[in-house]
Amino acid sequence: MPIHAPHAQLFNSVKLEVAKAKLGHEGRKSSYAALNLVAYIDMMTMLVIFLLMSFSATGEILFVQKNIVLPDAQNWTDLERAPVIGVSKDVVTLDGAQVATADELMKDSATGDFKIAELHDKLVTLKNNYKLLHPSEEFNGIAIIQSDKNVEFKMLKKIMYSVAVAGYQNVNFAVVPKAKGGGAAPAP
Amino acid sequence: MGVSVDSGNKSGKKPLNADLNLVPYIDLLTCMVAFLLITAVWSQLARLNIHQKGQGQAGEDTPPEKVFKLIVLVNGDGFNLVADQDQQPIPKKGESYDFEKLSDELKKIKDSHPDKTDIQVASEDTIKFDTLIRTMDAAMTARFPDVSLIDSGGAGI
Repeated sequence: MPIHAPHAQLFNSVKLEVAKAKLGHEGRKSSYAALNLVAYIDMMTMLVIFLLMSFSATGEILFVQKNIVLPDAQNWTDLERAPVIGVSKDVVTLDGAQVATADELMKDSATGDFKIAELHDKLVTLKNNYKLLHPSEEFNGIAIIQSDKNVEFKMLKKIMYSVAVAGYQNVNFAVVPKAKGGGAAPAP
Repeated sequence: MGVSVDSGNKSGKKPLNADLNLVPYIDLLTCMVAFLLITAVWSQLARLNIHQKGQGQAGEDTPPEKVFKLIVLVNGDGFNLVADQDQQPIPKKGESYDFEKLSDELKKIKDSHPDKTDIQVASEDTIKFDTLIRTMDAAMTARFPDVSLIDSGGAGI
């Protein structure tokens, strides 16, 4: 019996050349394809850079309510954590909970007292809670009024009075920061 | 994707083309994008710092006659700039308030009284909040950082 050099014995029993070629995958490209990831990585890098540039470490302190349009100002400072009083044309809210309606505030008080009782009481509670939770810190007395730009001063003065009577001497107004002529925001 | 250093196939050596493993890099980028998207603050808001003079602070220890009083009264006709004993009305320009002239006048006062830092904005009941903010902003632009907002009845004009 002759000795043959070893070689591929696959499909020798198949007589048809076409079928042999089919079974042996002859002449076909590999089904593995390299994905081109350059464009994908470029896009991700750009996205990360954009998001890092707009990143704010303080987080979102104020949420814009849908019925409040804020005025814009040039001489702004950064927000701080403080009770937020929302003033729209219809209602007054403290941290999202309604404390008075605009109709109540637009009426002239019979007694001449501007104080909004519910707002005052809640602010006093918040102040006392702050003092209990931060006994070593001095109370800064900051309250932020987030008012619609078309609200009249008649409403605002009652709110400001209630806030001041509750012990918050630093009343701040939420604004949309407007770019100024190159200067930075002034120090408080 | 690979780094082509040299093609060593001709001399029979192992090829120097190496594929960079980009999977960890893509993982890192994906995690960063997800984190930054979740923590992104889309609405940038700020605050206008108002120094509300409380009880006991208004008079302080300075005799009243020595205090240079500077008040911007905002009413339906425009502004009334009160600088100590002088009153200067700044009427509206058409339907809108003349903030430019107010700002110019305040800058002149600041130049003549460089130590003065406080100003009072007194408003009537019907004035819109937007007008008040722009008035206070104009005062701050004129280098009066200690702005307080009061009722026109309390201004004592």
